[in-house]
Amino acid sequence: MTNTLLFIVLPYLAVFACVIGSIYRTRKEPMSYSSLSSQFLENHGLMWGSLPWHLGILLILLAHILAFVCPGFWQTLTSNQVLLLSIEAAGFGLSILCLVGLVILAIRRLTSPRIQAVTTPMDLFVIALLLAQVALGAAMAVHCKWGSAWCSGTTTPYLWSLLLFQPDLSTIEDLPLIAKSHIVCAWLFILIIPFSRLIHLFAVPLEYLFRPPQNVVWNNSRKLKEECSAFVAEDTRRHFLKAALGIGFGAFLLSVGTLNKVFNFFFGPRLSKKEETELMEVKLAHLESTVDQRKLELERQASNYIMVAALSELNQSSGKYFIDYQMQPAIAFKGKDGLPLLISAKCTHLGCTVGNKVDEQGRILCPCHVSYFNIETGQPNAEAPAKAPLGHLSWVIMDERGSILASRNLEGKTACSVNQQALANGKVYIAKSQEDKT
Amino acid sequence: MSFSNTETVENSKDLKQIDLKLKTNLSLIAFASSLALSFMTANPAQAYPEYQAFVEKNSKRSINCAMCHINEGGPVGNSKGQIGSLSEEELKLLSKARIAFEPGSDVHSPILNEFGNKIISAVGKKKFLEYKTSPEKLAAALGNESDLDTDGIPDAQEYLDGTDPLNKFHGEPVKLFWINLNRCKTHVILTVLAVISINFGLLSLVKGISSIKKK
Amino acid sequence: MSLNSVINSTFQFVKDRFPVEKLNYHSMVEKKEVPVHKMSWGYYTGGLTMFFFMIQVVTGLFLLFYYQPTVSEANVSVEYINKYVAGGSLIRNMHAWSSSCMIFCAVLHLLTAFAMKSFVKPREITWIAGVLLLFITFTFGFTGYLLPWNQIAVNATKVGLQSIEYIGEYLPGQLADVPRIIRETFQGEASVGQSTLGRFYALHVVILPLTLVSLLGLHLLSVQIHGMSQGVDKPAKKSEKFMSIFIFKDLSLWAFIFLCLFTVSMCIPFESFLPYPLLAPYNPLGSTPAGIKPEWYFFFVYYPLEMLPFWVILLASMILVGVLILTPWIFKGASRKTLGFLTILASLYLVVMTIFGEQIYELFKH
Ligand code: HEM
Ligand code: FES
Repeated sequence: MTNTLLFIVLPYLAVFACVIGSIYRTRKEPMSYSSLSSQFLENHGLMWGSLPWHLGILLILLAHILAFVCPGFWQTLTSNQVLLLSIEAAGFGLSILCLVGLVILAIRRLTSPRIQAVTTPMDLFVIALLLAQVALGAAMAVHCKWGSAWCSGTTTPYLWSLLLFQPDLSTIEDLPLIAKSHIVCAWLFILIIPFSRLIHLFAVPLEYLFRPPQNVVWNNSRKLKEECSAFVAEDTRRHFLKAALGIGFGAFLLSVGTLNKVFNFFFGPRLSKKEETELMEVKLAHLESTVDQRKLELERQASNYIMVAALSELNQSSGKYFIDYQMQPAIAFKGKDGLPLLISAKCTHLGCTVGNKVDEQGRILCPCHVSYFNIETGQPNAEAPAKAPLGHLSWVIMDERGSILASRNLEGKTACSVNQQALANGKVYIAKSQEDKT
Repeated sequence: MSFSNTETVENSKDLKQIDLKLKTNLSLIAFASSLALSFMTANPAQAYPEYQAFVEKNSKRSINCAMCHINEGGPVGNSKGQIGSLSEEELKLLSKARIAFEPGSDVHSPILNEFGNKIISAVGKKKFLEYKTSPEKLAAALGNESDLDTDGIPDAQEYLDGTDPLNKFHGEPVKLFWINLNRCKTHVILTVLAVISINFGLLSLVKGISSIKKK
Repeated sequence: MSLNSVINSTFQFVKDRFPVEKLNYHSMVEKKEVPVHKMSWGYYTGGLTMFFFMIQVVTGLFLLFYYQPTVSEANVSVEYINKYVAGGSLIRNMHAWSSSCMIFCAVLHLLTAFAMKSFVKPREITWIAGVLLLFITFTFGFTGYLLPWNQIAVNATKVGLQSIEYIGEYLPGQLADVPRIIRETFQGEASVGQSTLGRFYALHVVILPLTLVSLLGLHLLSVQIHGMSQGVDKPAKKSEKFMSIFIFKDLSLWAFIFLCLFTVSMCIPFESFLPYPLLAPYNPLGSTPAGIKPEWYFFFVYYPLEMLPFWVILLASMILVGVLILTPWIFKGASRKTLGFLTILASLYLVVMTIFGEQIYELFKH
């Protein structure tokens, strides 16, 4: 019963009253349908109250109308999750903007005696109702989430059923109380439009914003001056409104356009099983190489000999990288004499790691600034940016039992106790030097 | 792993003849010589760095073995993705890949990356060996359908451009620009509209302020 | 000169640069006017630089969510941002593109300020703060470059740090050790490794931003106190209010620039310009790949460094730094025409070296 009364009788009554009343009022008192200006009475609060209020409510109303007039289009919009989120966020933000504006307007009406003079009880009622309505809207955004999405399945069919004179309440019957009150409030508004300053709804929006500047010239000079400044103020206000609309709308688009791209950034990605495994593997590999690095360091701290390679692994054209006692890269070759040739790989120019491939002239290349180093002498080529030679490292060859078969010291003196045959199975080590030990 | 050692030696001989710049990147040579060793014992091993040389010359970008191989140093050695490190299972796959002469076979060579395997399965080993004398034909043979990294530039193009065919965020900048512009047009349009609208607003604001000032 | 007069003149110097009577909102903001003339566009370059810095701060904070400054994780985490995080590659690209733009604008700002002779009394402090800001911006670029821990990052940093040590060879006596100590302090261990990464990270995300913000505060404060310099020889006939005409024009330029930055970052991955082998994770056991180069904004010293003996560059850069810092006094009497000519020469050099540096280098080598 109450439902029928509130959601069927009230709407028809409201619309009927609104239409008849408005026609009557515009006919009878044509000058009164734009709202009575109080700007000349008190200018201060107006801008801060009126601007946010009008800006907010205009956009919100547009969105409501869009949702009810083109439900199909609206549904495609809201089915995009990010867009839905943006719409809800924008809606909530705008309703807060409206609330702030309204509160300022209300305070202004209640505190300024000069404005009270032109304030009717109806004005106060309208403000109270508006406050309630906007608050309900904001509450819906918080408590009944995704209203912009589900409205196309509930409120929209209901409105259409009213429009087609086949009222059908089934879709809104089980809506939460907040939503129902929001709807009832809306009908109340339509009902009181002709009886209040809300009638300016029909007069305001576009024409008010964009009408060309017009000025009435009085023949009384004092009046003229006053009127001119009023005109300028009006003009300025129009600019500000345009500015607010432009910036507000732009900011909205920008947040949809960019936030859509970055909004999910913080939530962290959801990986598929396969991606997760891959990622783990990569991470593990990196960790392992760090572990290896640390082990190398430790080994260099702890042991007196470090194995470079089996002698048989070395060759003359392509060196084997290893890390010396100072944790710098070095390369091991086999020299022409069949014995190891160990050379530092840290370029004496700016420290890049020199390549390990030997060219026809027996040189290795530092790719950073193109220095060729002769592996026998360590000398760079004449034009190279590197001036100092690469140093050679000392080495020892040991057999499996750890007895030293051959060795070369830093001065390049080689000592060899066995023949080549016996050496072939030996392994090449670098030895900790005296300084390294301390 | 005795044969990988022999390969190294083979390589080193060949190396002497090649341009030095290429020496740092051995992949294709090594790949080729391993093929040569396994299948063309009649023809002595031959290195052909043509693919890499061609790409670098064609694109003026330096590349390395990781375009087609798993290991950036090529398949020779005993690190990850190199012949010396393969398990028995993987060696079987390797042998299977080595006899994929005709196009259309399903190859999963453990020394090749996705793109390398794609080449062999798309053109077949036989053709691949033929193309070494005219590496530009490989691109045509690959066709423009396959785009493994989904960056919008077909693999064959990336091969010609010397960009990473397996990295979505690597490609010829100008090409990527147009492709991505098309892909993100909604966002670009939204942002353009937003900027127009904001600038309209700011302009009005400036006008509004100057009209106050005039007063 | 007696101590007293030194103190007095110092005091007077500071007083002239920061006149107390002007330290209020009215004269710093409300009264400020921006002249309108044919060089007015120069007044926007500083704001743009700041805009890019704000973008850097925001995107940088975004990146901090996922970036991990350890040698084993750094590269993986950057990959992770690129590949998996929603909008991650966009944010990363914006950070990279905007860093380049910031440096470009900062240099442009310096050049225009120089050409407009905006450094003369009482704006010396503004100029010096600006020069320091430029250096900090370059340091931002240098430290940030290491963070992704890929081949180019680590190797370029190695070369960069080693060049610092190189300076030592040209210094006399005890001083010769200073560059080495500096390098070791930044590097933190025998070769570029975890300690280096940690230090660069701290510099990049905490120390430099704090320094930059405080210097920027000083810079802006003195700009606001003294107002815009006149910029051209004939005082401009027109001017516009800084608050709120100029500032909104600034904002609308920012909006447009944001659009460009956003589009470019979405469409062109910054790393596409490099050969891909340089983007592989850093491998401490391999040789340095070919093609290690610093970022483009270092080309103007990098290529000459490759071609000329080190001491020439060292001398030239020391002179340059000295001249930049002492500009307000050196060029006190120079006419705007001379300054304009010098600026054009300098810009020409920068543009040619940055764009054709590589070709010149090749020509030179062969
Ligand atoms: C508070 C400010 C900043 C923070 C918190 C920050 C943070 C970061 C982080 C976490 C990274 C590593 C992620 C990556 O490599 O993509 C990074 C990289 C980088 N940053 Fe910053 N940054 C800031 C400001 C700046 C500024 C002012 C510049 C230069 C003018 C700059 C230039 C760079 C560069 C060049 C990279 C390397 C980008 C790449 O290779 O992807 N940053 N930054
Ligand atoms: S670092 Fe080796 S040549 Fe410069």
